[in-house]
Amino acid sequence: MAQFINTAFNALSLSSIILLTSLGLAITFGLMRVINMSHGEFLMIGAYMTYVVQEIFVKFFPESIFSLYYFVALIAAFGVTFILGAVMEKFVISRLYGREIDSLLATWGISIILQQAARTIFGMQGVNVQVPAVLNGGITIGKCTFSYNRLFILMLVVFCMVLVWYIMYRSNFGKQMRAVMQNRAMAQCMGINSRKVDMITFAFGSGLAGLAGCSVALLGSIDSTVGQSYIVNSFIAVVLGGVGRLAGTVFGSGIIGFSSIGIENYTSASIAKAVVLLIIIIVLQFRPQGLFTMKSRSLDE
Amino acid sequence: MKLKKQGYNLCFSAIVLVLAAMPLLLRAGVITSTSFILFLGKCIAFSIVAIGLDLIWGYTGILSLGHGLYFALGGYAMAMYLKLQATGGKITSFMQTGGMTELPAIWKPFLSAPVSLFLIIAVPGALAGVIGYFIFKNRVKGVYFSIISQALTWAAYSLFTGLQSYTGGNVGITEITSVLGSIKGAANMGKMSVLFYISLTILVIIYSLSYALINTKFGKLLIAIRDGENRTYFSGYCVSRYKNFIYILSAVFAAVAGALFVNFNGSITPAQMTISYSITMVIWVAVGGRGTLIGAVIGAFLINLCDYHFSSGEMVEIWQYILGAIFVVTILFFKGGLVGIVCDQIPSLWKKNPESGVVVNE
Repeated sequence: MAQFINTAFNALSLSSIILLTSLGLAITFGLMRVINMSHGEFLMIGAYMTYVVQEIFVKFFPESIFSLYYFVALIAAFGVTFILGAVMEKFVISRLYGREIDSLLATWGISIILQQAARTIFGMQGVNVQVPAVLNGGITIGKCTFSYNRLFILMLVVFCMVLVWYIMYRSNFGKQMRAVMQNRAMAQCMGINSRKVDMITFAFGSGLAGLAGCSVALLGSIDSTVGQSYIVNSFIAVVLGGVGRLAGTVFGSGIIGFSSIGIENYTSASIAKAVVLLIIIIVLQFRPQGLFTMKSRSLDE
Repeated sequence: MKLKKQGYNLCFSAIVLVLAAMPLLLRAGVITSTSFILFLGKCIAFSIVAIGLDLIWGYTGILSLGHGLYFALGGYAMAMYLKLQATGGKITSFMQTGGMTELPAIWKPFLSAPVSLFLIIAVPGALAGVIGYFIFKNRVKGVYFSIISQALTWAAYSLFTGLQSYTGGNVGITEITSVLGSIKGAANMGKMSVLFYISLTILVIIYSLSYALINTKFGKLLIAIRDGENRTYFSGYCVSRYKNFIYILSAVFAAVAGALFVNFNGSITPAQMTISYSITMVIWVAVGGRGTLIGAVIGAFLINLCDYHFSSGEMVEIWQYILGAIFVVTILFFKGGLVGIVCDQIPSLWKKNPESGVVVNE
């Protein structure tokens, strides 16, 4: 029983990480139809920002408030990736609307540049982030241990979900955003500045990647390829859930997380990864549009 | 229009002639490093896979981010044969480390040369056939196809690194010579030239085959699928079959290229199977010019030549920035790549009406 709960918690934790990395994609890919291959690199930037903020705290601030660095890092990571996202939208993405495949390739070029930049600045060696003291250890209930940093990531995911949900479905900006994505011409006629909405939406998606990067930094060493290891799972989670559906992305991440951990019990991690992806590819054969699809009779979806 | 097509072929002939002269120049002592010829041999392999990618992406409009998989499958099949030649049919060191005492069943066919040559083409072809059959039948298209092909490559990469005792894991299959024996060093220059000319011949054959193919009705249909898939369906063509055929063909080209690559490279690793390697292949086609066969060849040679010169020494960091920038700029502004610049965009500067200039595929 204890082992089962531990496994379930691990699975939940993995799902939450996948979900966190795919939330941003759910917005940029799901709503805006931009395939942002450099999403993984935004994640990397978020992770490196955590490292940078940590170093700043070590150098300039007294040790007593060191633990606070992580919360500053969360804001810094979101801020930096938000701004970078806005800049990228302005100069690159804005020329690529309606050209999905080209957006994939152009953002791949950007990801090459960002990865090299990370290597130039931080070196080839991975860097490590010290987990803040608050998040060290864990709660033990019976024979099950729940580590604080994984619980924290879970909470962060819930927070981000609520944030995204609120912004998309309850705020005025969300209304404008959905209006622009559904019918651009009509939204423009209603006086919405669609260029601005595009930019903020993309920047917000990128900012979420930065937040995800912060949480990834807690889990292991950070190097220039850290984003690459998450990007495939994130894309598959979004596609599996059904593009354009927030709930779909939640389910997609859950399915990937739980099945990965489930299969990993019987075989090695790398084979489990392969098996899960193959199963998902087979599922997508039966539901090419994903599990949660928006019913549409249009011919060219 | 006819002149332009002849121009493409002339350009290809020029490239082939220059390449053919290279081993002779080495003999004459103009080129001193044998490794440069080996590198050009790899470039020939790369341009073959680029032609395959161009057929499927430039002509049919299906972007596969998984051709590294087929390239590596062909490469692995070749490497398995060569490795068994090197060990004399005995089990390899990584199998011993994995605790095996005799040759696993999947390695046994590679003891014989004809079966190996058959499998180099058959395994990737069959895999592409099965995957393509389901994917295209279910009308998975556009970016969904790209993402799925990417995931497939990732899955295969995990498998190949995971099954260490069968595939050599992360290290791959190393310490192998070419089909003709060792080709490294000055003493084996003759063998190397032979291998080089064999590869060049294969490139010419594949180029001519593709050229013939795209000038048939079939080729026109591919372009029709790219420009209006639903219209092609409504005109009564079974689009999925055409797509599947061209997918298999390009996978086979990639596998042949992989097999040639192993001969020149002397090893195969799962690195050739990664997503980034697959996308790099797409970069070659995009920079050279999608939708023209010559563009794919030029792109493969150009990017790799730059890579060869810049990836050592001081330029190594800057080169990555330049590569990324070239790619972004090409995609944003020059959809036709280099060929597009030379054939469409420069002439359109002279013409009075700029609208007739840039004709690029949407």
